[in-house]
Amino acid sequence: MKWIRALFARSTPVSSSMSEKGMLLYPSTGEVIRAESILRAAGIDIAVKGPPPNLRQGCDMVIEFPLVHELRISEILEAASLSPLRVVVVQDHLLEPVSLFHSKDFGDFLMVRAANMKITVDKHSHTIVNISGGGCPDVPYLAHMLVGKTLDQAPEPRSLGQTLCGYALQLAFQEVRRLCRG
Amino acid sequence: MQHTLDARGLSCPQPVLLAIQAMRSAESEDLKILVDNEASQENVARAAVSQGWSVQVQAVANGEYTLTCKKS
Repeated sequence: MKWIRALFARSTPVSSSMSEKGMLLYPSTGEVIRAESILRAAGIDIAVKGPPPNLRQGCDMVIEFPLVHELRISEILEAASLSPLRVVVVQDHLLEPVSLFHSKDFGDFLMVRAANMKITVDKHSHTIVNISGGGCPDVPYLAHMLVGKTLDQAPEPRSLGQTLCGYALQLAFQEVRRLCRG
Repeated sequence: MQHTLDARGLSCPQPVLLAIQAMRSAESEDLKILVDNEASQENVARAAVSQGWSVQVQAVANGEYTLTCKKS
């Protein structure tokens, strides 16, 4: 419960413009993924996002959550031994998590970027022509497994690993599939 | 006649996309591609193989690579 106390111990008074959301920060991607899974299973409306620049430590991610559920979240995470490293209240638009998706049309090809990963597909055949980005050691493996396959044939990136890059690639994969299906 | 594609200075995924377009429209079955970083080299080589081309990679100066691609 230390992080909850720290949250309430902030010296800045709550203003009417304060966001109603907070962010859970973890030291590793594996913990983000496990916490996300547990909180979703509990029916809490959360989102995994890229952190704002001032909190970014590399290719990390945070869990955005509604502050109204903070006590329940703390109990769930403590029970699962998954208390976060830090909790940050999103106080203004400069601290809002960055948008995860960015798409770019290259004519015959469509690229979608989610956080630090990019996937590019042929718009006509829906074949994956490129996977890039990251910095995680499994990116070459992920690329090897997906490039040359269609979006329907390709394995879901989340089935191939649990690194941040695999997670981000899964989101990009889902988004590009959604866009291609129109 | 060998066609040369200079993809140096381009950011990902542009070298891959140009390489695929060049392979699809290639009149010859012999293509030389120049890139200037390892990630582009790996990505272009992977894409070429997925398009049914064989690839030979040669590292040259200053982190640049020459990929010699032949239609299999």
